[in-house]
Amino acid sequence: MGAEEKFDLIIVGGGPAGLTAAHVAAKAGLQVILLERGEFCGSKNVFGGIFFTNVMREIMPDFEKDAPLERVVTRRRWSLMTPDGEMAGEFRFNKFAEAPHNNSYTVLRAKFDKWFADKAEEAGAMIITGAVVDDFITENGAIKGVKARMDDGDIYGDMIILADGVNSLLAKKIGLHRELPAVSTIVGVKEVIALPEEKILDRFGVEGSHGAAYEYFGYAARGAIGSGFIYTNRDTLSVGVGGTIASLIEHKLNSNDLLEDFKKHPVIAPLIKGGEQKEYSAHLIPDMGYNGLSKLYADNVMVAGDAAGFVNASLYHEGTNLAMETGKIAGEAAVMAKEKNDFSSASTSQYEKRLKETFALKDMKKFRNLPKTLEHSPQLFEKYPKIMEEFVRDMFTVDGEPKGKKQARLIKRLLKQESMFGFIKTALDVRRVIL
Amino acid sequence: MSDKFKTMEDKLGLDKFKAFEKTHLKIKEGVDAHKLVEGKLFICPAKVYELNDKGEAIVSFENCLECGTCRVAAPDEIEWEYPQGGYGVTFRFG
Ligand SMILES: Cc1cc2nc3c(=O)[nH]c(=O)nc-3n(C[C@H](O)[C@H](O)[C@H](O)COP(=O)(O)OP(=O)(O)OC[C@H]3O[C@@H](n4cnc5c(N)ncnc54)[C@H](O)[C@@H]3O)c2cc1C
Ligand code: SF4
Repeated sequence: MGAEEKFDLIIVGGGPAGLTAAHVAAKAGLQVILLERGEFCGSKNVFGGIFFTNVMREIMPDFEKDAPLERVVTRRRWSLMTPDGEMAGEFRFNKFAEAPHNNSYTVLRAKFDKWFADKAEEAGAMIITGAVVDDFITENGAIKGVKARMDDGDIYGDMIILADGVNSLLAKKIGLHRELPAVSTIVGVKEVIALPEEKILDRFGVEGSHGAAYEYFGYAARGAIGSGFIYTNRDTLSVGVGGTIASLIEHKLNSNDLLEDFKKHPVIAPLIKGGEQKEYSAHLIPDMGYNGLSKLYADNVMVAGDAAGFVNASLYHEGTNLAMETGKIAGEAAVMAKEKNDFSSASTSQYEKRLKETFALKDMKKFRNLPKTLEHSPQLFEKYPKIMEEFVRDMFTVDGEPKGKKQARLIKRLLKQESMFGFIKTALDVRRVIL
Repeated sequence: MSDKFKTMEDKLGLDKFKAFEKTHLKIKEGVDAHKLVEGKLFICPAKVYELNDKGEAIVSFENCLECGTCRVAAPDEIEWEYPQGGYGVTFRFG
């Protein structure tokens, strides 16, 4: 870029946060450039998952016309995995198949983010791919732009939105956050497995374009703090498992071995049997919660999405919509700053101020104790699943023992393994932080 | 349809990689690499860090999935940067 060229807004990262900011700001008339390190937007991006489209619907009400959506999620199932089996609960509402589709679609990010990037370009944003940003351009201590690792990679702009995802080396560089802590950063490993559409419908009990989301807790990560998933796409399954980096190290578990074991687990194996593997991937999830959010703004700079730590890792498992909401508010704050021609933190702080009124920050706050509770309750991932398996299995074992006697015996055995106080305390702690 | 699933090496063969000539991952000078691989880096999803017969650490950066796990596991012991733009792994599904 020529030195004379200066943008109103530079966005680093073409995931949901960056693309939303680009869409919103370009549409409002700002000169926007977005830099993405991948060959195309989406080429480096991996998630479960369900793309929650509530914010997408706000900025692009007709997105369903041509977005690459896989299935509308009408069925969600949560399972407590044990070494040998599972106990599960679920919902299934056909109403969710009707507009607005509960804003829950399975997608594949390489296709979806690429489509979204085309829309941001149509809205007027300039997108440069294959451009990895390594640093900032500073003059007299003030940030004037970014340095991309390419010819003519010095790019000047009034404002910068960092939407560079979970490994936000840039936010770290200017001291907006510390390094990700290994105890609350999850590595997720995933395979996309092809299966004929009829098989998917039969195995997951859905019809037509409906889809299912199966999530696995308890012993899903072989005793490490983690969980697993299967999401149904059109003619593939997204199958994955993840655990906190610290607990995988502690349990001496390689993350791929964990996935291999998960796929062989007696409750998973029949669901994926006969499928053909298409891709293997891995990605981090920032699971620090509200207390681990980065500082959200500085002079000329705002941080959105995973880069700031916006993931709600409770039972709801939301990240995409928080990325979009924060991207949207950051984009709008940039538009306001441009109107006032003030790019100092007096302006960029409006981003945080307005975020406080949105579900993004409110939900983060509501679940702020989740990461700590999980970290301090390792019993949830190994001891309790084992106890529960024994208890429930024996309770339903048909062997002629009178039910009253069986129940008394099992409860006595249960209380030998853990005190009633221990159970109740854990149950209350968990209830408080996941729902 | 196959009855058996592919494991590590073959699985990485499913992914599209465009290797850059220079590594983006380095174990820092002075770090006991053997101990680091055995103690922490074994968790890498692509088994990029392995020990050879002589117990030396081998870093197969061309298989890196760019997740950042090793960076978070050992922030003081390794130098980690993104590969050159447009290089490295390209997910077709994601
Ligand atoms: C295993 C797993 C399962 C998940 N499941 C779900 C789910 O089911 N539902 C849900 O809502 N969320 C889920 N999430 C979370 C969700 O994926 C993220 O919260 C969301 O993608 C964050 O969007 P983002 O735009 O902030 O970051 P990203 O999507 O990571 O985008 C960041 C972009 O920046 C680019 N980039 C990074 N650094 C640079 C640089 N220096 N220069 C140029 N470009 C750069 C990257 O290539 C990338 O395109 C899951 C995450 C994982 C890992
Ligand atoms: S970034 Fe991920 S895949 Fe690459 S070497 Fe580190 S842990 Fe392995």
